[in-house]
Amino acid sequence: MATKKKRTSNVDNDSWVVIAPDSAIDTHKHDGDPVFVRLRNPSTDAASLYMLGCGDVMLYEVKAFEDDFHSWFVGQAVQRDGRLIFVTPLDPLFLILPYLIKSGKEEKFQRVDQVVKDEEFPACSRLLSCARTLASLHHIAEEKEVESQMYHRYSQEKTMNWLKKKVERTVIALKKKNVSVGEGVKSSTYVRVKSETDNQEEDFIRYSHGLISEYITEDLSKALLTHLGLPELTSPKETEPPSKKRKLSDKPVEAGEDYTKFNSADFARKPPKKMTAAQKSLAKVDKTGMKPMSSFFSPKVKAEKK
Amino acid sequence: MDLSPFEDDNSVSCRLVSEIPEVCKTEDCCLGIDEAGRGPVLGPMVYGICFCPLSRKEELKDLKVADSKTLTEAERENLFEKLDEAKSYVGWALQILSPNTISTCMLRRTKYNLNALSHDTAIDLVQYALDSGVQLKEIYVDTVGPADKYEHKLSQRFPGIQVTVRPKADSLFPVVSAASICAKVARDRVVKGWNFTEDLGEVDTDYGSGYPNDPKTKAWLLKYLDPVFGYPQFVRFSWSTAQTLMDSKAVNVHWDDDEEDGEKAAQRQSNKSMLSYFSVSAGGNDQNATHQAHRFFTERRLKSLNTL
Repeated sequence: MATKKKRTSNVDNDSWVVIAPDSAIDTHKHDGDPVFVRLRNPSTDAASLYMLGCGDVMLYEVKAFEDDFHSWFVGQAVQRDGRLIFVTPLDPLFLILPYLIKSGKEEKFQRVDQVVKDEEFPACSRLLSCARTLASLHHIAEEKEVESQMYHRYSQEKTMNWLKKKVERTVIALKKKNVSVGEGVKSSTYVRVKSETDNQEEDFIRYSHGLISEYITEDLSKALLTHLGLPELTSPKETEPPSKKRKLSDKPVEAGEDYTKFNSADFARKPPKKMTAAQKSLAKVDKTGMKPMSSFFSPKVKAEKK
Repeated sequence: MDLSPFEDDNSVSCRLVSEIPEVCKTEDCCLGIDEAGRGPVLGPMVYGICFCPLSRKEELKDLKVADSKTLTEAERENLFEKLDEAKSYVGWALQILSPNTISTCMLRRTKYNLNALSHDTAIDLVQYALDSGVQLKEIYVDTVGPADKYEHKLSQRFPGIQVTVRPKADSLFPVVSAASICAKVARDRVVKGWNFTEDLGEVDTDYGSGYPNDPKTKAWLLKYLDPVFGYPQFVRFSWSTAQTLMDSKAVNVHWDDDEEDGEKAAQRQSNKSMLSYFSVSAGGNDQNATHQAHRFFTERRLKSLNTL
């Protein structure tokens, strides 16, 4: 069959397939329904979708499993998008951090309700009503109490220690869940044949750092890397023969040889160092008024002709 | 002929067999192979073998078993009765390939075409006869595809047995005619009493011959086209008649082994177009500003959303 099928983009759905913890939809304890809100994503600085549980007690992030060629059969209906949406708890401090850092530049103690404000995302002030927020602000900020009123000032040092703890805890979780963190495999479904013990710890920390970096700004991510005592990754030295152990990276595994780089502008053809006798004699020929062969093929020819 | 094993589950392939006559286990035998229902878009394809001792070949002729196509349904039923009466020296076996089997074979990832399916079914049936102790010396087959190739394939598979593949074998060799009648009778009965597993309510059974060019069949196909599921399992989805109707009338369904147009498919799979390597601006702006998610998420196909 040579018929062409046109793939139309997914139309708006009025229903979603969502996996959410009970706590997110527990309407008994608190008033109000859980709501999806758009907040500033600290890593991308753009809008991302989050969820506030009933009574704004808990914050959840919203992630979607999206792959080609999936659809749902839901009851007696078909849902075109095969998306599976995950609603998972998220520490609200991650979202508050960028606001604190911003105000921290003024080096003044300020009231958090004055700091956590965003015209673009007015819902961000609701983060402060989350159960964990106010109680855990001391992880990332110095606190001062004046006349039973709390004031805060961003502390890089505290934040680094807090993030380091997050990385360590993530390492524990990664180990528990048997997540493949090395570079030798691309998918966690592929099992490593050989279990490598050397330097696996660094693999775990680097991977964990990469995961945490999804929730913080790039600057913080770099600072955290230093704080963890991990050197920034550099490309392997050219003179060295490829070592047995492959370089570690957070990034997806890519082909070792990238031929696309030869297309870049800075890849200029260098003349061969040694010329043969024939080439030397050719080089001596008087070439005045002669066009190089290549000029007949380059797009600039027309302009030069006049 | 007891069709109940197939009717219990008509989504799969099913074998029906007669008793093996004792004489076939001691005397040299000949065997005929034929099929019924190769062309229709509806219903199963039935493969039949019939075998009898070489010495009693002529007796089959006396039963006046002829090419099943030249006979009316009643005549075929009649002849099948006669074959059944001759069970002291005539044996048969049938393989009913359900329309669902045909669809799934032809439409699966590694395509399994109808000719290959036919050949394999025929081979399995011959092997069954051998396994049952029938002393096979000669095989006659109506051709499927190029006769010489098929003959070579069967000869290789069954060394020591003389294989004859001939077009119109069903009118040339009585033992093939007999196999043809068994197959055709089984197909007719199955189609007539098709047990729809789908919940279609009162099904209109006036679907004509089942051949794609029959207007009745076409009308029936249109009537029972479901926009999401297509057809009941009674229909061979792999037939172009069915596919054309589904393409025009039903919802589009995309599979990951669909053939798509080069450029667009590549773009969708986020492959780089070959052309991009030759364009002037290629390279240099590899440092894309867009945020690349950690591989924990990309490997799990997890994305952040900014809207529902």
